Amino acid sequence: MKTPCVKALSIRARMLLAVWLPVLLIASLLTAVFLSARMDDMDEAYYLKSQALIRQLAVSSEYGLFSANAAQLQVLAVAALQESDVISVAILDSRGNTLFAAGQSRYTQRPALGSTPSATFDATSAVDLLTQPVLASSVQLDDLLESTPPRAALKPIVLGYVLVEFSQAKLLARGREVLLLGGVVLLLGLLLASFLALKLGQGVMDPISRVGVSIQQIGQGNFSVHNPVLADDPLRDLQAVLNQTAKRLALSRDDLQQRILVATNALREKVEEAENATLSKSRFLAAASHDLRQPTHALGMFVARLAQLPHDPQTTGLIKNVEDSVLVMQDLLDGLLDISRLEANAVPVCWSTFPIETIFERLRGTFALVAQEKDLYLQVRTSVAWVTSDAALLQRVLINLVSNALKYTTTGGVVVACREVTGGLVGGLAGGQKIRLEVWDSGQGIAPEHHQAIFTEFFQIGNQERNRTQGLGLGLSIVQRALRLLGHPLALCSRLGQGSRFSFELPRAAPVLALPSPPEVVVPTREFEGRRVLLIEDDVLVLAALESLLASWGCASRGATGGRAALVCLERGWVPDLIISDYQLPQGDCGIEVVAQLRTQLGLAVPACLMSGDMNPSLIQAAKAAHLTLLHKPVRPAKLRSLVRHLLWSA
Amino acid sequence: MLLWLRAALSLYLLVWAAGSVHAGVSVVIVSSERSPAYVEAAAALLVELERLGVPRTETRQQTALEFQSAGPDNPKLVVALGVQAALTVAKTAPKYPVLCALLPRTSFEFVLRETGQRSSEQFSALFFDQPLERQLELVRLALPAVKNIGVLWGPESRSKESAFKTAAAFKFSSVVQGHVADESALFAPLKKVLASADVLLALADPQVFNAQTIQNILLTSFRAQVPLVGFSPAYVRAGALLAVFSTPEQVGRQVAGLVKEVWLGGALPAVPLYPSSFNVLVNDHVARSLGLSLDAALLTARLKSAESAK
Repeated sequence: MKTPCVKALSIRARMLLAVWLPVLLIASLLTAVFLSARMDDMDEAYYLKSQALIRQLAVSSEYGLFSANAAQLQVLAVAALQESDVISVAILDSRGNTLFAAGQSRYTQRPALGSTPSATFDATSAVDLLTQPVLASSVQLDDLLESTPPRAALKPIVLGYVLVEFSQAKLLARGREVLLLGGVVLLLGLLLASFLALKLGQGVMDPISRVGVSIQQIGQGNFSVHNPVLADDPLRDLQAVLNQTAKRLALSRDDLQQRILVATNALREKVEEAENATLSKSRFLAAASHDLRQPTHALGMFVARLAQLPHDPQTTGLIKNVEDSVLVMQDLLDGLLDISRLEANAVPVCWSTFPIETIFERLRGTFALVAQEKDLYLQVRTSVAWVTSDAALLQRVLINLVSNALKYTTTGGVVVACREVTGGLVGGLAGGQKIRLEVWDSGQGIAPEHHQAIFTEFFQIGNQERNRTQGLGLGLSIVQRALRLLGHPLALCSRLGQGSRFSFELPRAAPVLALPSPPEVVVPTREFEGRRVLLIEDDVLVLAALESLLASWGCASRGATGGRAALVCLERGWVPDLIISDYQLPQGDCGIEVVAQLRTQLGLAVPACLMSGDMNPSLIQAAKAAHLTLLHKPVRPAKLRSLVRHLLWSA
Repeated sequence: MLLWLRAALSLYLLVWAAGSVHAGVSVVIVSSERSPAYVEAAAALLVELERLGVPRTETRQQTALEFQSAGPDNPKLVVALGVQAALTVAKTAPKYPVLCALLPRTSFEFVLRETGQRSSEQFSALFFDQPLERQLELVRLALPAVKNIGVLWGPESRSKESAFKTAAAFKFSSVVQGHVADESALFAPLKKVLASADVLLALADPQVFNAQTIQNILLTSFRAQVPLVGFSPAYVRAGALLAVFSTPEQVGRQVAGLVKEVWLGGALPAVPLYPSSFNVLVNDHVARSLGLSLDAALLTARLKSAESAK
């Protein structure tokens, strides 16, 4: 509560000053004026008295001087000495000889005596010395006899001189007294004025300070302040208005809070709705992904099988088309499912340290032909750098970027490069460094206004008719989300007509002992001649497709729709070389358990792998724990083939 | 013939009138100034002259300044009232007779000295002050108990000393004298005189008796209980016991008589005269204070009769 107090004090001080200062001025002025007048009066009285005394003395001593009557003069002098302020009296004859002197004369040198009265003042002893010539008094004689012979104006006859010394001591003392009195009166007046000012000020200051405190409290947000409105309060009206204002403020605040509450509730509902919507969408997509994958998986395999059979050229062409369509469809489905998973944050990130070159090789393999077809050069610069990232996601990202680059370039080419970036304060070459992966293209470039838009779903520049052969427009969206997930921010540099450069940085890693890559052995088509494969798949169509596919490869396969059926297969003494099982099996069976059961049944560690449409991280973990490879549906025949090869040959 | 006579007569009358206007004035009265005393005297003179048969047309009044600045005149007689007039008139070296009046003897003597004139029928005076005899007689009549008469001689009145002594010897036992050298050394001689005198007779001397000294002299004499006999009414008013004097009127009247004489063809007196009529004034307060009772009228009459008896 310091501020209002300080403010009120200054107002109080000001009020005091407003009352006190004029009083001081007026009182001082009056005192000064009247004191000075008084002093002047006293001075004048003193001088008049001294003059009168000496004149009277001069007149009285005329006859005494004329008759040289010292006795008479003595009487006069002594009488004069009795007067107050008189120090000494001296009566001199016309020649200047002292006839009579009384009192203690203080002057050392007699002043010049003339026919006019004179006065000298000795400042050190505050003594006035007055001399008065004693002139023979003149009688009016209007007589002819007086004017003969013609004389000059009658010179006054000086009979003698009177010297009187007056002391100003009493006068000065009186003066000091008067001054003191004046000062005391002034002081008393001022004190009284101050007292009155304080008293009066109280009546004004208290209401002001009350109002000030109230305002401060209102300012701090406390609207419950309410001061009583007193009848004798000079700020009565102000106080009443203040109370009213506080009440209104409180009401409006409550009202506001109420509205905020309502709005917040509404908002929360909407948010919940939205979340629910997203959740349902995600669930929908998840369900759809699982359901869609199965038939797509089967379709792919059936078509592959169909392609292996002999046809007439027309049919072959048609089958080719169907295959292409199936591929596109699978791609689209992959893309859609990828984006939905990324959106739902359902993608697990598995960090590993691997050389970037492996991904680069796959890029080359994947896109070399495409580039050649379009008459563009594709340069994927080799690099010996190792990185720490998710290989699958990274691969996906680079594939999308290069695919886009090739798609939107008509002349020139695409360059994929890897650069070192010195950054980070952590010491060591390998530790703090990052590498930047860049994808350059000399394509049509991206206009600045599209730099943000290209990363949105289904956005494609220049595909208004939504030609599906050009993709869904999800590629960059996936790239962005994937990189965000990995924590490698994407940078885009592009100018319309000059090409684009997509780049992102990832942490460099120390090279880890390289795992020997499985040797690539070229084998004939019917390489699995006579191999026995046990298929466990609950979906009949998928099972049939798989069986057909494997048969085309020369495998002798048996299918089971569930764990029990599989066991039944084994009872007849049939020992499989490989087990391919679906993860989710009917009657709550888990593919891993079934495999384990089968293995125990056979007493052999038969190579096995799992298939699943679900991308559950727990599933992946379980598979890893069981040392079983997990394939994602829809399974590419080529992929399946390579895995089968790997499993059979590694056994 | 008659015409010529008439013309001659009218011419003669004209000349006579002109003459009378310009030079026909017989008497010119010159006053020193227009103060009341002179006016009184002149008025009394004129009235008396008229009464005596001298028409007013024969007279003219002038002040001394006017007389000085006026052109030459040819009156029968000029009356100079006061010392200034006398001096002015005397300085013009008049061919006509001049009568000086309203001036004391000492002043007349002063005028004579100054202008080199001589007292004669052509240049005479009627003194304003009283003769010594009269004053002494007054003292004797008023204060018969007085044996010693005191007098203060000043530088101007010293000349009368021997005459006074002679005159006073008849009336008084002794004469107490005091000689005053100048105004400042007044007290000592005064004291000396008052110590032994019974009365102090004041004789006109400006050095001794003037406006500034009279107060102290009177005080001193009063303290000494010695009455002062003054020589003018002003002194009586100031505090002198009594004085014998002539008023300007009286003087004017006496002058008129003398003028009449001259106008009739006579001459002025060869020796200056003293006034013949006089008054006596008594200060009753002072008289009472001194324990005396004097009657002014009685004294005047007695003095007159004493004089006439002589």
